[in-house]
Amino acid sequence: MSRILVVEDDERIRLSMRLALEDEGYTVDDVASGEDAVAHFADDPSELVLIDLMLPGMDGFETCRALRKQSTVPVIMVTARSDTHDVVAGLEAGADDYVTKPFVAKELAARIRALLRRSRPTETGASVLTFGDVEIEPDAGVVRRGGEEVHCTRTEFRLLCELAVNTGKVLSREQLLERVWGYDYFGDGRLVDVHVRRLRIKVEPDPGNPQFILTVRGMGYKLAV
Amino acid sequence: MGAQSRTHLLHRLGLRARVTAAFAVGAFALSAVLAGITYFTARQSFLNERQTAVQRQAFVNASLVQDSLRSSGVQVNQLLESVDTLPGSRSVLRWQGQWYATSISVGLNAIPAEERALVLGGKPASQRFSLNGSIELVVGVPLPAVHADYFEVFSLQELAGTLRALAFALGAAALVTTVAGAAVGRWASGRALRPLVGITDAAVAIAGGQLDTRVEAGQDADLLKLASAFNRMAANLQARIEREARFTSDVSHELRSPLTTLSASVGVLEGHRDELDPRAQRALSLLDGDLQRFKRMVDDLLEISRFDAGSAELSLDEVDPGELVRQAVMATSPIGEDGRRIEPVYPVEVAPGVDGLRLRVDKRRFERIMANLVDNASLYAGGVTRVVVDRDPPGTAQGANSILVIVEDHGPGVPLADRADLFERFYRGTRSGQRASGDGTGLGLSLVAEHVNLHGGSVRIEDAASGGARFVVELPLTDGGGSGSGDGSGGGGGSGSGDAQGVLR
Repeated sequence: MSRILVVEDDERIRLSMRLALEDEGYTVDDVASGEDAVAHFADDPSELVLIDLMLPGMDGFETCRALRKQSTVPVIMVTARSDTHDVVAGLEAGADDYVTKPFVAKELAARIRALLRRSRPTETGASVLTFGDVEIEPDAGVVRRGGEEVHCTRTEFRLLCELAVNTGKVLSREQLLERVWGYDYFGDGRLVDVHVRRLRIKVEPDPGNPQFILTVRGMGYKLAV
Repeated sequence: MGAQSRTHLLHRLGLRARVTAAFAVGAFALSAVLAGITYFTARQSFLNERQTAVQRQAFVNASLVQDSLRSSGVQVNQLLESVDTLPGSRSVLRWQGQWYATSISVGLNAIPAEERALVLGGKPASQRFSLNGSIELVVGVPLPAVHADYFEVFSLQELAGTLRALAFALGAAALVTTVAGAAVGRWASGRALRPLVGITDAAVAIAGGQLDTRVEAGQDADLLKLASAFNRMAANLQARIEREARFTSDVSHELRSPLTTLSASVGVLEGHRDELDPRAQRALSLLDGDLQRFKRMVDDLLEISRFDAGSAELSLDEVDPGELVRQAVMATSPIGEDGRRIEPVYPVEVAPGVDGLRLRVDKRRFERIMANLVDNASLYAGGVTRVVVDRDPPGTAQGANSILVIVEDHGPGVPLADRADLFERFYRGTRSGQRASGDGTGLGLSLVAEHVNLHGGSVRIEDAASGGARFVVELPLTDGGGSGSGDGSGGGGGSGSGDAQGVLR
């Protein structure tokens, strides 16, 4: 079964999360601080990490950035605030998704399942997708730019594949949320926006003035060639 | 009473108008007094001068006439004609009981009786009088040596013309001065009030929720006091409001940690429900029900604290109104056995005129609006009968101003008197006896109003044709029906998350 690392300083929450996730069939490791999380992950990589944003010492954002330096492991931020600032900052630190406290165990489990599913190879039908000097191998989960491999998280990769498979077509934020994250109509569009921004930094020659991943006002995003 | 109404009028006029009026009245009074003094002084001086000249001339002529009368055989009329008089003056002579005059119009009768009496009594006299509408000056000189009296009548008509011209010029000058005074008053009061305009703007901004607004103190010592007092007041107000909002926000955040433990633990228990005996299962159901309610309350309080702190932000998307409402209604319905939402039992009717319109809306907030309206209907009114999406004004052509989302229920309707209060926080009113199990938080409808207001819309209660209540949410269409391209700037605060979102909104 999948191993999940829970990073949460509140012991009672940690324990209840462990109980709930174990009931869902996951193997759970838990640590109480960001420093412990980074050390634990280096020794024994998990398949998914849940990070509380408010941690003493090294906070959730830093912990996420530290993990991102060594891995593209899926990360879900657990936040007590759904305020724009925290959510966007968490996503920009590299998180794939977020849940707001107090979450329902079933919802958290659903988010984890969706994210783990995303981590598995995608079925796009094509063996290689290209635009500009970017080359995507969907089955291998590899992105190259000018021949050099670009490290993408699985969510970034899935998003890029969705856009590349539908080159020239506008995809609404709802469509992308449903296809990449598995959200319904009321999913948080900020997930898409921040991931698009992260992707642009990785594949665009000038991320501030994108040539490929374009914003279509009032409609969504499209990949133009 | 009269004084009071005058005071009211003055106050109604406004400070600036009052200062302007005071300047005008002052300038008028001053210029009128000056003009009056000038006029009367000039008039007196002109008259005196003219009178002196006329008298001197009359005495000279009188002695001439006396000399001529001494010599016998004189033709009186010729004598009078030959007298050298000032232009406009005429001579009258009484001699040997007879009256002689140079002019037909001016004779014995023209000379006032009083003057005549004085002169005939032996005293020289002069007098001004009015003759046929013109002002005349008469000088009478008795000539006792020849038993005659000589009069000279001088018309002051020309002088009167000069004085009229002078009066007109002075009047015009007074008028100009008055207008100039008013203008100066207006300018000066405007200048003096200019700092007040800045403070007014600041107060309006603060009332509008921009609590960090301050006024520039400038250099003026008098204004510095006012500005710093104003700024101090604004800072205190801001600190206080922020402290209260932060408290609510902190409380709801602090509650989230134990709620998370509770929620996760109850979830675990739910997973093991089958292993519990029936009494424990019932207890678990109660626990779960109130836990949901508690969570909603914390969420609602946090939402309210954001509204109170003015930090509520719109994250606008451009959507199809019909689809939005259908999705929102779907999201409020419970999840069935198969893990999918159960289709609601009431219809969602989308008017044909709505097709093709695009609404800019914060989807999450709209979902909360619908959830709260549907909750309200099921808690207090036996559920929703139908949901309607329409446009205002109705029709199919261009020119819709807003989208109406209407939720009708099975209840008895809402009395007129309660309709506004229903959107107050924790208001239960006449419905307080109807608390259903799994009751609402008491914040639902007030949040509906807050969410709708944030969109620049409104919410009201009407009577449904079916007899129930009809909640009408009106959301404005920002660009006349929406052609699919927004202007890129939302109706509310930005969430500041950068380019992609900024453009989409």
